[in-house]
Amino acid sequence: MRHAFDIAGSEIELWLAREGAGYRLHRDGGEARVALSAEGGLRQMLTVDGVSEPMLVAIEGELLHVHVGGRSHVIRHLDPARRFADADASGGADMARAPMPGTVVRIDAVLGQAVAVGDPILVIESMKLETTIRAWQDGRIGDIHVSEGQSFDRDAPLVSLTASEA
Amino acid sequence: MSRLPFDTLLVANRGEIALRIIRSAKRLGLRTVVVCHEADAGSPAAEAADMVVGIEGRTGVAAYLDGAQIIDAARRSGAQAIHPGYGFLSENAGFARAVAAAGLVFVGPTPEAIDLMGDKIRARAFVVEHGFPVAPSAIEDDDPASFVERARALGAPLLVKPSAGGGGKGMRIVRDMALLEQEIIQARSEGTRYFGDGRLYVERFVERPRHIEVQVLGDAHGHVVHLGERECSVQRRFQKIVEETPSPALSPALRERICETAAGIARAAGYRNAGTVEFIFGDGQFYFLEMNTRLQVEHPVTEMVTGIDLVEQQLRVAGGEALAFSQADVTSSGHSIELRVYAESASRGFTPTTGRILALELPQGEGVRVDAGFGQGQRVTTAFDPMLAKLIVHGADRGQAIDRARRALADFALLGCETNMAFLGRLIADPAFAAGEVHTGWLDENPSLAAEPPLDRVTELKLLAVAALSTRAVRDGADAVPTLHASIGAWRN
Repeated sequence: MRHAFDIAGSEIELWLAREGAGYRLHRDGGEARVALSAEGGLRQMLTVDGVSEPMLVAIEGELLHVHVGGRSHVIRHLDPARRFADADASGGADMARAPMPGTVVRIDAVLGQAVAVGDPILVIESMKLETTIRAWQDGRIGDIHVSEGQSFDRDAPLVSLTASEA
Repeated sequence: MSRLPFDTLLVANRGEIALRIIRSAKRLGLRTVVVCHEADAGSPAAEAADMVVGIEGRTGVAAYLDGAQIIDAARRSGAQAIHPGYGFLSENAGFARAVAAAGLVFVGPTPEAIDLMGDKIRARAFVVEHGFPVAPSAIEDDDPASFVERARALGAPLLVKPSAGGGGKGMRIVRDMALLEQEIIQARSEGTRYFGDGRLYVERFVERPRHIEVQVLGDAHGHVVHLGERECSVQRRFQKIVEETPSPALSPALRERICETAAGIARAAGYRNAGTVEFIFGDGQFYFLEMNTRLQVEHPVTEMVTGIDLVEQQLRVAGGEALAFSQADVTSSGHSIELRVYAESASRGFTPTTGRILALELPQGEGVRVDAGFGQGQRVTTAFDPMLAKLIVHGADRGQAIDRARRALADFALLGCETNMAFLGRLIADPAFAAGEVHTGWLDENPSLAAEPPLDRVTELKLLAVAALSTRAVRDGADAVPTLHASIGAWRN
C-alpha cells in the first residue's frame, strides 16, 4: 500500500518492500535499499544504498522531526484513512476534513467554481506545516466551511465538492 | 581583589541572559536567586540558580516588568543586589532608584545616566554639546511649524524618529519631501501610542548605513575604557540577527576614532557599568545614534576577542571596585561572530513559531560558545521574545570564524520547533556577507535569502526513508521507535 508524506510542502507517495534485513523503498521515479537502526536515545542510523549516516529523530503525533546533514526537517505523515476516506466515498457530495488542528492560511477557490482533480482549493497550516487541500475529483465547490485566518479542530469540515455530472 | 559588598545576587530576567549572569555570579562565589514566571518553570536558569522566587502577572512579560514584586523577591530571598539583564527593567531609571531606595545594589548605571540616554533628544543634545558627531538633524521643540521647516532644510532622504523610541517602532524614512508633514503626523501618533511620548526628531538618513557600536565600561572612580566595536548591520525589521567584531568595514584609523568617541561620550556622562554607544556609519562618516545603558545581547563577541567577562566587570563595578585594567591593557585577538537563533519562520516573513523542544544538541568544539535559555522538554510559546539561543564563534580571522559558525550550525540540533538556523546558514554563506558588504537594509533588499530553497533529491530520499522506516517499525515493533501515527500499520508487502 502506498503511503504519503508531506515534506516541505510537497506530498510524496511511496511504498516499502522487505528485502533481506532491510527494505526497498519505492517511489515514483526511483527506488533505494534502506535500513534504519536505533543508536540509543533519539539517535538513529540510516543506511541508504549502503551509505550510513546518523540522525536525530523525534516523533510528535503525525509529525516526524529529523535532523540530518546539518539541518532540521519536519515531515508529516498523511493518514491514509483520513486522506482517502472522503475521496473514496463514491458519488455524492464529498467533504475534506481537517487532518489535524490548524489555521486557514488562504482560500484559492470560490463557491460554485468548477475544479478539476489536483486544483488547489485552500491552504491550511498545522503546527507550522502548510498543506494545500486540492480537489480530489472533478466537480464544483459546494461549500467552503472555513474562512481565512480561522482556526479549526481536527476533523472539522473544510470544503465540500459536488461531483460533476458525467 | 577586594570582596564584593554583596554575597547574594537576584537576577531579574529569564532565558539565556539569566543563565549567563548566574554563571558569572557563581564564578565570583555569589549565591544566586532568579525570579521565575510559571511559563519558565524548569528553564535552565531556574535549574542553575541556588534559589527561585516565583513571580506572577497578567502575562509573563508583565511579571518580569513588575519592579515592586522583584524588589520584594530580593528582600524575601536575602539578595542584596539585583542584575536586570537586558530588556524588561534594565533601562528603567525608576526601577534603579527603587532598588537603591530599598537598600539594594542595582547592577547597572546610575538612574541619572539611564534618564539622560533614555531620552534621545536629551542624549543627542548632550553629545552635540560635548563636540561629538551626530547626523545633521532637527529636533522638535515648542514650535512645530519651524520644526517642519528645519527638517525640510536638511534635504531628502530623512529619517523621522520618536524621541523615546526603540526597536524601530515609529521610525519612518521620507524620500519624497511632499510627504514629510504626513509622515511626521504618523510618527508622532505612533510615538504617543508606543511610548507615551509624541516628541520627534528628524535626521538625514544615511542610505545603506552600517550599524556599528562600541562596548564601554566605566567605574565609580571616573575610569572609562572601551572594548572595541561590534558590527551589527545584519538586521530584519530593525532587529539584529548577526553581530561580529571587529567590523569588516573599519580601517584601523576609523576604528580608533569611533572607539575613542564612544569612550569620550561615556566619560562625559560620568558613565558607570557596562554600556554601548551606537553609531550609524556611512560614506566614511560615523554619527552618534544612541547609548544603551545596559549589557547587550551581543556582548559575547566582545568577550570572545578580549577575554574579559563583562558580567563579572558589571558586578565588580556595582560593588564599588575600580576597573582593574586600563585602556592600554585591553587587547583584542581574532574574530568573533554571534548568530541569534530565533523560534521563527524566515520563509514566512520571520513570523514566530511555537512548539515543544523534543531534542536539543548543542554544538561544541574549539571557538564555539552557545548561550541558550531553553532546555529539552520546554515549551516555546509566543509569550516572550522568540530568541532561543545565541551561537557565538571565535576564529583566528573572519574566514575561520565563518567556517566555524557554519560547522556549529550544522551540529546544532533543535527539534520540535521551527527555527531560523537554516536561514542563518544561508546568510553566512552568502558572498555579500563573506565580503563584509552588508548594511542595515541588506536583508530587506535580498528577500530571496529568507526563502527556503527546494529540497535536493538526495535529502528528500533520506527523509522519505527515515519517515517510512519509522512508520514501518511501528508495525514491526522491532526497533522500539515511538509511535508515529496511531492509525498506521497498513504496510503491505
